[in-house]
Amino acid sequence: MPPSRARARATTSDEADAPKVRADALTPTVGLAQQIYDQLDHGEIPRMRLPLRTKQNLAFQSREGVWRLGKAMGTRSARKLDGALMLLRTFYLVDFINEMARDRKTSTLRELYYISEAWEDAKFHSEDESNLLIEDLEVMCARLREDFRLHPEENGASVIGDLTIKEKNRKGAVKRINCKDDVGDGGYSLPFNVEKEKIEFVGTNAKFVIAIECGGMVDRLAENNFDEDQNAILVHLKGQPARSTRRFLKRIAEELKLPIVVFTDGDPWSFRIYASVAYGAIKTAHLSSYLATPSAEFLGVTASDIENYELPSDKLSEQDVRALQAELTDPRFGTAEWRSEIELMLKNGKKAEQQSLAKYGLNYVTEHYLPEKLTEMGVL
Amino acid sequence: MSPPPTIAQQLAAKQREISVAEFFERNRQILGFDNPSRALLTTVKEALDNAVDIGEEARILPDVLVEITKEGEDRLRVAVTDNGPGILRKEIPNVFARLLYGSRFHSNRQARGQQGIGISAAVLYANLTTARPAHIVSKVEEDEAAHVLDLFIDTQKNQPRVASEDLVLWDRPHGTRVELVIKARYQRGRQSPYEYLRGTAIVNPHARLVLVEPDGTRVTFERAAQELPALAQETLPHPYGLELGELGHLLKSTKRPTLGEFLAKDLAGVSPRAVKEVLERSALGARSDPGAVQGEAQERLLGALHQVPLVAPSADCLSPIGPLLIKRGLRNVLGDLRPDFFAPPVSRPPKVHAGFPFLVEVGLVYGGGLPADQPVQILRFANRVPLLFQQGACAITNAISNLDWRRYGLDQKGGSGLPVGPAVLLVHVASTKIPFTSEAKEAIAEDPEIDKELTLALQAAARHLRTHISRQSRRAFASEKFAIIQRILPKLAEKTSHLLDKPVPDLTPVITRIMDVVNVDTSVAATPASVGVGVEVTNYTPRARVLELFVEIPPNEFALATFDPAPDGTEAGLGRAWWTLPKLGPNARAKLALTFPPKTDLEANDLDWYVAGIDEAHVLGADPLPGDWDVRLPRTIIEAAESAAAEEAAATAEPEVDYDAAESSASPSDDE
Repeated sequence: MPPSRARARATTSDEADAPKVRADALTPTVGLAQQIYDQLDHGEIPRMRLPLRTKQNLAFQSREGVWRLGKAMGTRSARKLDGALMLLRTFYLVDFINEMARDRKTSTLRELYYISEAWEDAKFHSEDESNLLIEDLEVMCARLREDFRLHPEENGASVIGDLTIKEKNRKGAVKRINCKDDVGDGGYSLPFNVEKEKIEFVGTNAKFVIAIECGGMVDRLAENNFDEDQNAILVHLKGQPARSTRRFLKRIAEELKLPIVVFTDGDPWSFRIYASVAYGAIKTAHLSSYLATPSAEFLGVTASDIENYELPSDKLSEQDVRALQAELTDPRFGTAEWRSEIELMLKNGKKAEQQSLAKYGLNYVTEHYLPEKLTEMGVL
Repeated sequence: MSPPPTIAQQLAAKQREISVAEFFERNRQILGFDNPSRALLTTVKEALDNAVDIGEEARILPDVLVEITKEGEDRLRVAVTDNGPGILRKEIPNVFARLLYGSRFHSNRQARGQQGIGISAAVLYANLTTARPAHIVSKVEEDEAAHVLDLFIDTQKNQPRVASEDLVLWDRPHGTRVELVIKARYQRGRQSPYEYLRGTAIVNPHARLVLVEPDGTRVTFERAAQELPALAQETLPHPYGLELGELGHLLKSTKRPTLGEFLAKDLAGVSPRAVKEVLERSALGARSDPGAVQGEAQERLLGALHQVPLVAPSADCLSPIGPLLIKRGLRNVLGDLRPDFFAPPVSRPPKVHAGFPFLVEVGLVYGGGLPADQPVQILRFANRVPLLFQQGACAITNAISNLDWRRYGLDQKGGSGLPVGPAVLLVHVASTKIPFTSEAKEAIAEDPEIDKELTLALQAAARHLRTHISRQSRRAFASEKFAIIQRILPKLAEKTSHLLDKPVPDLTPVITRIMDVVNVDTSVAATPASVGVGVEVTNYTPRARVLELFVEIPPNEFALATFDPAPDGTEAGLGRAWWTLPKLGPNARAKLALTFPPKTDLEANDLDWYVAGIDEAHVLGADPLPGDWDVRLPRTIIEAAESAAAEEAAATAEPEVDYDAAESSASPSDDE
């Protein structure tokens, strides 16, 4: 069903926009300041042009097989109060980043939100607002937020399976960890930085990776010994996957050349989870080349699974229907396969959770559903 | 042996005069004494109404003290002291201790009370519930001392009984004090003595009212107007409002020798021609004796009077509050809530309902500290008396509910019912006869004529509200721009300069580009010596402007104004003046000053400002000059306006997408 089977060739260390706190991380911010200063000096209303991060402005990048930002630009202008405030915040943020660089500190996104309390008129009204501005800065400066010494709280996915890695911990010591033998039931927990300087892949006997939406299903598969029986690596997505989770999946796909399958609930929101893993997310479309794994395939639960397996289902809510309709105009779901999947779900008016497979007993998912689906997909 | 009594005799034995006490007991409700908290309000109301009325009649600015103190369990002492002319000794017992005694019942003019029941009913209530006499102190100016009387009402005979009497020295030249101890309960809220005094103060800004509550709280409603309202004229009865019994009474008591003269001189609105027609229709002779017109002839006469077209009743007998005093009253009492807007009050011309002249007045206050999430507050008045009960049953409330307030800027579910918003509506109906829904006089009954006038008056007030709200939203737009240029832009310049280690650039060109308006800012400042209106015209546009500024002032005030600089033209009759301003460069400012004598009731809202020489979209605080101003504009102004319009057309070139307003399809769950 996924539109593109174009598996990106694995590239080695120096990928174009791979992160690492660069020596020149802050240089572009000076350019931004210069731009605004020149406008003020010439009596022009200060403004910045940014690529629009909307679904209408997603463009397919065929070489990499991911959806990236298109060419449509928007203007953030001091003509309006909102625009003027965002411009001012940008430079409060740049100030703060410079200060952190000087003091060799980093800050979580949430800390930044609270730091802005001191910014008077420019303070953020919500964490969404501060996160959006950081992404804007990433786009304008072609840098990653880590370059700006900003990072999310640790909430990375957990990994269970026969994968051996080397992680350099906070104190600089390198630990060798097997994600099956050296961890407890919770698995190996991904840090927010999953780049090479932090995590190195040593080896694996696994044949594929199965990325799972819900913790309950991860536990079911682990208890049923699915990882060992089928030589699989289980990755818990925890709902919408964090950047580090998506980056980690991309590295496994490219460096270990393992197939990735995505196993979610059967509802419109789960389709978006898959899209953000495989094609790139709208909000972070500027980072798609770095985060998206075009080879990842959607396993289910599909709309037809709900019918074929006669799964216990819920009626689609109004929001569900709206979300599906929005997906019909989302270019990422523009393939015939996705359209028919979305239209089928709309027609049946039903959604189902992945754990509804328990209708047929606790072993059904590992003994019947997954083997059948994986065989169909050619993974097993 | 006498025969057994007949039924008629048995019935006759039961018939006897009903004492006033019994009458009172049976009619407690319509007299307003049916429960302890209402009894208190009625007592205060009767005494206060009398005090304000008597001051008005005697042309004395009323100064009334209402003291309410606790006298033991469920008993209160109510003492109302006024500065009226005082009451002659011989009249005191009748005025306070005899029901249905009064001077106003037969007069045909607007008055607060009419039936002569009011204060004596309160005295009777005191006698009955606490067995305490009414304690009256009154002094007329001619006397050295005040008379002090303790009065009971003889409930069998409806006669006053003086329990004790004395003369005392009183520290005021004249006035009256009534003290009653009644069974009552003090409560605050919508139907409290406080609300009644507040309402009275609003519509009687010439009165000073003081309330002392049982817990010692002292509330003063200061006098806001030094002029007494015009005294309503007494007029002759108009046939449209006459009923048969009243006509009979007039015919019997007239001193006119002939029916023709009676019709022409004892009734209002009957012209000589109408006299002829009425007599013809009723088949009565012009020379017949009025007293002899009885029975069926009387009915014919009334029928003819109701059929023949007559001159409408005169409105001289009405006493409107008037726009000026409505505004002062509202400002005086609601000023603490700092409302944004006092709408120019609406005073409709008099009209007639069922033969009685009436008129409607409406005041409206909006914004500031008034609660925005509750139904508007309605202040109802009938003949300048606050109506506190039965709001839902009142024609005033219905007229408000039937208007679609959403068109005027207030919330209203489904376009009917009480509107919601930060507003107070004052509605006053004045008439020689108010059609109340009941004798308790708590609500005005539906009447098509009154309803029509209520609606027209409310609409007029609502239009003022709509104008205000739209001006306010223009101001909000302006304040956003001012926030950008005053708070954000300087900081942005400072931050970027600092990052680059460069000097802060001059922001004037950017400021004028962002604002791109000419701002007309007016302010009113009152000092004891004068009321000054300052006007600042600032050119926040990137190019130099030649502008013409116009002002329209209510003509009465216009006549009193001095202008600096002198206007380039005026039309005093219409209250208009105009100036050609000096050429203003970007960020440049011109100032004008208007000065009025002290105590002018002038607000920024009363002056309308217009400009020419720039298109509407580029002006704040003024409107474009309306077409009906027949003013010849200087050539430069016309050219400026034309070039501005052309520039505007050219400027709408390529629309840009506002990044921060662009709809993002990224739902919160769409990304981490």
